[in-house]
Amino acid sequence: MNKKRQSKIDLHVPENLLVTPFFVFFLIHAMQLGVGILSFETYIARDAGYDAWISLLIAGAAIHLLLWIVYNILQSSKGDIVSIHEETFGKYIGGFLSIIFSLYVLLLTLTVLRTFIEVIQTWVFPQLNVWFFTLALLLLIYYLVAGGFRMITGLCLISVLLALPLLWLKFFPIQAGDINNVFPIIDHTLVELLSSAKTSILGFLGFELLLVFYPFIKNPEKSKKWAHYGVFFTTIIYVISAITAFIYFSEKQLDQVNWATISLWKIVEFPFVERFEFIGIALWLYVVIPNICFSLWAASRIPKRLFNIRQTYMVGGYCLILYVATIMLDERQQIKELNDIANMIGFYVLMYIPVLFLFKKARDKVRDTN
Amino acid sequence: MGRRGRNQQLNKAGTIQTLYEKLKESKDFVVYHHTEPTPCVISYLKTMADPKILNESILPGLKKADLHSLEKIKEAIPVENISITDQAEKIKEKVLQGYVIIQMTENDNQVLLIPASTKVGRKVSIPEVEFSVVGPKEAFVECLDKNMNLIRKRVPLPELTVKELSIGKLTNTRVAVVYIDGIANEININTVMQRLKEIDYDQMIDSSYITQMIADNSNSPFPQLLDTERPDRMTEALVEGKIAILVDGSPHALTCPTTIVEFFSASDDYFLPWHLATAFRLIRLFAVLFSVLSTSLYVAILTHHHEMIPEELLATIISSRADIPFPPILEVIILELSIELLREAGARLPTKIGQTIGIVGGIVIGTAAVDAGLTSNVLLIIVALSALASFTTPVYQISNTIRLVRFPFIIGAQLWGLIGVSMVMAFFIGHLIKLQSIGTPFFAPIYPLRITDLKDAFIRLPFNKQTQRPIQTRPLKSERLQPSDANKKRDIDE
Repeated sequence: MNKKRQSKIDLHVPENLLVTPFFVFFLIHAMQLGVGILSFETYIARDAGYDAWISLLIAGAAIHLLLWIVYNILQSSKGDIVSIHEETFGKYIGGFLSIIFSLYVLLLTLTVLRTFIEVIQTWVFPQLNVWFFTLALLLLIYYLVAGGFRMITGLCLISVLLALPLLWLKFFPIQAGDINNVFPIIDHTLVELLSSAKTSILGFLGFELLLVFYPFIKNPEKSKKWAHYGVFFTTIIYVISAITAFIYFSEKQLDQVNWATISLWKIVEFPFVERFEFIGIALWLYVVIPNICFSLWAASRIPKRLFNIRQTYMVGGYCLILYVATIMLDERQQIKELNDIANMIGFYVLMYIPVLFLFKKARDKVRDTN
Repeated sequence: MGRRGRNQQLNKAGTIQTLYEKLKESKDFVVYHHTEPTPCVISYLKTMADPKILNESILPGLKKADLHSLEKIKEAIPVENISITDQAEKIKEKVLQGYVIIQMTENDNQVLLIPASTKVGRKVSIPEVEFSVVGPKEAFVECLDKNMNLIRKRVPLPELTVKELSIGKLTNTRVAVVYIDGIANEININTVMQRLKEIDYDQMIDSSYITQMIADNSNSPFPQLLDTERPDRMTEALVEGKIAILVDGSPHALTCPTTIVEFFSASDDYFLPWHLATAFRLIRLFAVLFSVLSTSLYVAILTHHHEMIPEELLATIISSRADIPFPPILEVIILELSIELLREAGARLPTKIGQTIGIVGGIVIGTAAVDAGLTSNVLLIIVALSALASFTTPVYQISNTIRLVRFPFIIGAQLWGLIGVSMVMAFFIGHLIKLQSIGTPFFAPIYPLRITDLKDAFIRLPFNKQTQRPIQTRPLKSERLQPSDANKKRDIDE
């Protein structure tokens, strides 16, 4: 009992740092949209062909369900992942699981960071001086994360505002493409659709950070609606991107394309500017930076909650890990493996959410009968 | 304890005499022994006291009859606010403001203080920094009381509250904090008062000292208090629940809390119909973005991404750059620095010579540089336009910021092209999100997103749509007007 009260005190977030429920929309959406959307079309089309947009809808629905479960867990405990783990599994096992979660979020951060630098190396600067660029980027990220949760919320908002206009560019490939590529609708089996859905669900990773930032929401009950809107919005953007790619590329062509969304930017042409992918990638920085900052913040907050370490030290330490790891992973194959590993672990984490829910329900029942 | 008490007493007893000794070293301190019919000592600072009051009110009063006490003299002199005191501190303060002192004998501690101060200063004239074609043409001057008059006559309300402090250990400058009681939030008022009281410095020459001293982040290049020389603009701020700070001796008043968008709104925006005002405000915002980004985009695209330029345009740019011996970054830095040089020279020189410098610098040097093949004329156009664009900001302080902020962008562009520009921009956006003005977010209404405040940010909706005072100032009464039925659209033929 005494211990429980202790964790409640640690949880307390000053009133002026809370964000209104409305911003949960931007937080969830900005965290889900990362570098994955630049290349996901090829992968989801491998199983379900051009019916993969249906798989995206299935994946979106599954995420809505998982989000509902997450809210259920959070609303019954009024805490974050650290206190939930502690209540459900006890101090040591719970703490261990929280550390694992922190490391998983750090892995997500690394994946986004390294993949984005890979995008820059592939598309803009093949001779990029990785150690210098990463150093500058990480210094910027450190400065932003040091601004705290309010800053991250602001960045998420800016990211949505700046990246949304890029959706208009889809007009060019749609105009140039052939709508008949998408037809006939549903000529794949349910198994194929589901296996494609499993691939596409990875694009929605990131919403589980709600488990960390939930105490930072003012009137958290009211945020549920906005979180679901956020997931819905992400789904729509994925579906639009996928259908655009399917209209423009034929199935065999798409299989050869590595970064479908960026390739589609390439055909955009204005009287004063060509090769729009340079602008696209530069603007994509505003999608990637909130993503990295947010996950770095979440990853470093868990040790703070567990061991009461100053978060600044944790952010610094994690930045150092990210820096070393980014420089060491310098081959394309390694980066692909990193993505695969992160996706695999991400999938297990998604599977873990319902398990945690069941454990917590069981634990609550036992406590109630006692 | 006892010794300390005696020390204080000694100080107190000795001060009037020591004050006199000090003052007598100055030539403009006059001590005059009046004899008939009232024997007394009149002393004052000749340069601060008004000779008219002295000759027309004080001396005739003393001439009337033999007055034996200060009380009697007080009754005889037809001047308001005469007081009798023996507090040395007060006497010192008043005599330095130009009060006339009357004592019965020279070593008397009891003195009569007659207000006779006169102030030299210029008259209220037209605004020169924030000029507008339509609208009021009065600007603040250096005298605090005149400035207060300009405000009071615009806001004739008993709720208009003025708190006065004196800041500066040596200058003892009067600083007034003005707000409308019942609209301005007490939290903001307390923050401002608290920060002003904490100022500990020798001199307080101008209101810009205060901007720097009470800013939430004094290392930021962005000014966090808005300065204005227009009483009408200040009235606009006061009725929105903002707090104004006036400094005696400074023709610029400060208003706070403020936001970044407020620095780009001109008073003209409110004097023109709303759609015109909105269009001009958007042009101004675009100009600011252009001014900050254009040269860095030039460097980024020409150094790293020439593929981006369409073929037809490429021909133009290449032909203008063909003979230039420098890489784009060097070319840009040379030109940007020479523009800054021109500006600095123009700002320091008297107006008439300044114009000559503009012609010599802008036309002669510019053309010569292109002819000599030192710079391309495309870049010359871009740099000149971006300098021009930075002058569209209605508040002078922010145009200085824009001048400076350009350079990190150019460095970012040279390092990593467009991505470098993006990174620097991300840094500044993060900085702006972090920044606060008197404890309220500086980047509002963008973040935190405030839909109602957006009615008067990038666009300006008509006055009847502005039903709420801005949330930014957290006003105590937020309702500005009752939305009336008159706004409802009529159907055809009604």
